[in-house]
Amino acid sequence: MFSVIIYGRNDSHGYNLHKRAAISFNAIAEVMSDPDDEILFVDYNTPDDHPTFPEAIQDTLTAKAKKVMRIFRVRPEQHVHLKARTHLVALEAQSRNVALRRSNPRNRWILYTNTDMLLVPRNEKESLSDILATVPDGFYQVPRFELPEMLWEAAFDRRDPAGNLAKLRDWSMRFHLNQVVYNFMPMRYDALGDFQAALREDMFAIHGFDEEMLLGWHCDSNLAARLALYRGSVDTLVDKVFGYHCDHTRVAAANNKGRQTKMNDQDRFIWDVSTPYLPAQAENWGWPDLEIEEIRLDRDTAFERFAAGIGAAIEPATEAYRTTNLEWHLFNDLTYDLPHTLPFVCDQVLTYPRNSALMFVGTRADFLTRFAIAWRTMGFTGPVLVPNECQGLPLDTPGVEAGPFADLLRRSDMFIFEFGLATQGVSDPVRTGRLAEAMDEKRLKVVSRLFRQAASLEEETRPAARRLPRRFIGVNVIYNRFWPLFTDYVSANINPFCGQVLAGNPRIDPSMKGKVLRFRGRYAI
Amino acid sequence: MSEIGIVTSLPDRIADAWRKGLDLLIGRRLTISPRTREEEIFLRARNLARAGELQEAATTFGDAATAAPDLIAAFENQGELLDILGETEKARSLYEAGRILRQRLRGATPDRSFVLRRAGRSTAEIAAYTTVLQSVKQRVLPFIARGNAFLVEGRPEPALVDYEAALKLKPGLSDVLALKAEALLMMGRFEQAATTFDSACAVQPRNADFLSGRAIARLALRRLGDADADWRVQFELLPAERASARACVALRLADYGKALPELEHALAKEPCDPYWRLYRLTALGRLGRPAMPDAKPSLDSWPNPLLWLHAKGLSTEEVLARADNGERRAEALFQLGVLALPHDPAEARRRFTAIVDDAPPSMIEHAAARHELAGLGS
Repeated sequence: MFSVIIYGRNDSHGYNLHKRAAISFNAIAEVMSDPDDEILFVDYNTPDDHPTFPEAIQDTLTAKAKKVMRIFRVRPEQHVHLKARTHLVALEAQSRNVALRRSNPRNRWILYTNTDMLLVPRNEKESLSDILATVPDGFYQVPRFELPEMLWEAAFDRRDPAGNLAKLRDWSMRFHLNQVVYNFMPMRYDALGDFQAALREDMFAIHGFDEEMLLGWHCDSNLAARLALYRGSVDTLVDKVFGYHCDHTRVAAANNKGRQTKMNDQDRFIWDVSTPYLPAQAENWGWPDLEIEEIRLDRDTAFERFAAGIGAAIEPATEAYRTTNLEWHLFNDLTYDLPHTLPFVCDQVLTYPRNSALMFVGTRADFLTRFAIAWRTMGFTGPVLVPNECQGLPLDTPGVEAGPFADLLRRSDMFIFEFGLATQGVSDPVRTGRLAEAMDEKRLKVVSRLFRQAASLEEETRPAARRLPRRFIGVNVIYNRFWPLFTDYVSANINPFCGQVLAGNPRIDPSMKGKVLRFRGRYAI
Repeated sequence: MSEIGIVTSLPDRIADAWRKGLDLLIGRRLTISPRTREEEIFLRARNLARAGELQEAATTFGDAATAAPDLIAAFENQGELLDILGETEKARSLYEAGRILRQRLRGATPDRSFVLRRAGRSTAEIAAYTTVLQSVKQRVLPFIARGNAFLVEGRPEPALVDYEAALKLKPGLSDVLALKAEALLMMGRFEQAATTFDSACAVQPRNADFLSGRAIARLALRRLGDADADWRVQFELLPAERASARACVALRLADYGKALPELEHALAKEPCDPYWRLYRLTALGRLGRPAMPDAKPSLDSWPNPLLWLHAKGLSTEEVLARADNGERRAEALFQLGVLALPHDPAEARRRFTAIVDDAPPSMIEHAAARHELAGLGS
C-alpha cells in the first residue's frame, strides 16, 4: 500500500539520534499491515568503512522493522560529484529520489517522513495501511506535534512500539501535546516534511524532489508547492492520524546553525515555483542508471556474511586462549597468529561494495589462501588482485587474479599489505624471538617497496571515474619495524596490538619529510 | 478613535490606500468578492474561524455545505472545527462525506494539462491563496495557484488576470504562458490561445501538456493536420505507465489500433472506470471486432447508458434523452455514429457533423468525429 521514504547516515545528527531513530523505525513498522508496505532508508554518504545507520542500530529494531526495511546505500564515491556544491554531508532530495525510483511499484502511496517521527492512528484498530487504502487520490499532510526531549528519552522503550504509541495517546491529552500549527498555503502546516503522502505515480509524474536543492531546508515546502499545483489542493489526514516528532534541539544538528544556517533560497524554491514538473531532471532524477546497493536487516546480514566467511576460512580454536607479546625486545619478531588476525582483517573490508577489487601484497601463502576463501564466502564478487612481483603466493587460488603490479594498481579499490614471515607455519609459536630468514627478508623487501609505491602513487593511479582515496589495510604493522613505515604513508588510528591491523587512507604530509617519503616511494628508492 | 489616534494613523491609511490603488492599477486582486450565496457563507465561516469564533464558524460551514452539497471544503472545515470542539465522531463523518464527494469528481481527460484534470469547487483554495497574496505579492506561485483554482472552477477570466499578473512578475515563463493559453482556450479565444501555446512550446517543445492544449487550439482553428502533429508527438512523449492518457490521445486521432492496447492497460489499472470500458467497445467496434459490454451497469450514472447502447439495451431516443447536457449529448452522438458506421455511413456522417458543429473542441469526441468525417470523405 505504501512506501515510507526516509534518509540519513551513520553519524550523530542531533541529540541521541540512535534512540529516537529506533523509536521511529519501530513505530512506523508497527502501523504497517499490508504485505507490500516498506520502509526505504537511504543511507547517504556514510564512510565506506562504516556500516549503514540502520545496521549500526539493528539490535534495537523490532523483527517487524527489520523485515519491512530496505536500505539503499549511497556511497561517498556516488556523492563526491556534488561535494563542491554543498556544505552538507547528506542530501535530502537525492536521497529521497534514489528511494522513490526503487520503491515497490505495487504501492499506491509514498509517505515522506523523517527518522524521528511516530505516526499514531487515531483509531487504535486501524493501521496506516488501512487509512491510506480508503482515502481518495490526493496529496495529504498531517500536522506535526512536538514531544519534549525528556519524554521520548526517559519514558520510551525503543523495542516496544505498541507501548510507545499507547503512551502517546495518553500523553497527548495529559501533557497538552496536540497543537496544530497552521501555515500559509501551499504548506498548510508547519514542519510539513514529517508527513507528506503523495501518490507514487504523481511523484514520478513531477520528477521527484528538486535535486538542485543542495543547501538543506525547504525541500518539503518545494514539494508541497509543486504537488499543490499538480493536485490543486493540499488535503489533510488529521482526522485519521497524528504525527509526533521527537524534539532534538538540545544539541544543534549539522544543518542548524541558528541565524547563520545556510538554506536553499525560499523565493526560488517555494514562492517562485511555476510548475510541478522538473524537466531538467526528468530523465535522471533518482539516479536510475546508478547501481545502488540494497541491504536488508532480515537476511544476508553483515554478521551472517562475516561468520560465513570466517567459518569457511578457519577452524574454530581448540584451546581456551593463545598468547603473543609486545615487549620491545620482540620488535623484530614478525610472527603473528593468522587465525586470530584474519577476523580483524575481514572486519576491515566487510562494509565495502561487494564488487570491489582488492589488491593483496604479502608474504604468507596461508594468509592469501584463507583470506581469498573468506572474501568469496562473505559475498564479494570482485577479484583479489596479486602482483606477479610477490613470490611464493598461491596464484591459482579461486578468485585470485595475478598480473604486473603497475597494471593491477589501476584496477584496485583497496589494498591489503601483509608484513609477515613467509616461512611461518600456521601452528608455529608467535612472538618468541624468531628472526627473519633470508627468504623472509627478500619477500618483505618487495612488499615494502610495493607498499611505498602504491601509497605514493595512489591518487594518480585510481581506477577511471574514481575520485576518492583508496583504503590501505596493513596486517602485522603494530609494535614492529613496519609500524613506522606504514604510518609514514597511511593515516591510521592507534589500534590495539591484539588485532595486528591498521587501516586508513594515504597520508598527505606537506612537510619536507613527507615530500621525501613520497619521492622515495614513487621511484622505489 | 481620538483625534490624536486619527492623526497618527493617517500616514498608515494613506500608505494603505496607495498600496490598494497600486494593486488595482497593476491588476493584482488581493481581495475576492463572493459570486454566489454559498461562497459568501463559506467565506464568512472562514473569517469566523480565523477570528477564533469556532462554534459559530462550524455552524456557518454547515450552512455552506447545506447550500452547496458539492462544496467539499465546507464539509472538511466544519469537520475540523467540530474535532477541535470535541465532537470527534461527527467530525469524522464530515471528513468522510468530503472524501466520498472528492472520489466522485471527474476532471478533464488524463491527456490534458494537470490543472484541468481536477474538478469541483475551489472556493477554499481561492480564499487561501488570496490570503497568501496579501503577504507575498511579488512572487508568482500564489498567482498561479489561484489562477489554477479559478480555471478548475471553469472561470477563465479571473484565471487570466492572475496568470497575467504572474507574467508581469516573471515575463516569458513558459509554464504560465501555457496556463494562460488554457484560459484563452476555455474562453474560446482560439487564435490567441494557439499563438500563446506557440510561445510556450518554443521554450519547451517536448512538454506533453503544452502540445495537448495547442492541438486543441489548432483543431478549433480547423488546422487538423497541425493538431494531429502535436498529438502524435504527445503520444510519443507520454510514458507507458500513463496508458489512459495515451489512450485518450489515440482516440482523439481516431487511431483505434493504437488506442485499444492502451485502453486495456487503463482498464487493468482502473477496472471500474466506465469510460475505459466504453471507449474499449468503441475501439473494438471500429477495428471490426464489435463486442458487448461484460455487464449492464446501473443506468443512474453517466456514461452507463452508452454501455447499454452497445448492449442494444437502450434505443437511440432513450440514450439521447438521458444525455442531459451538451457534452453528454456529444458523447452519445459519437457512439451512435460509431455504431451506425458499418451499415449506414450517411447516418454516421450526420452524427459526427452534429458533434463538430456543437461540441467543444476539447472533447475527445470532437477530434475523433473530425477524423471520422475526414475518413468518410467529408
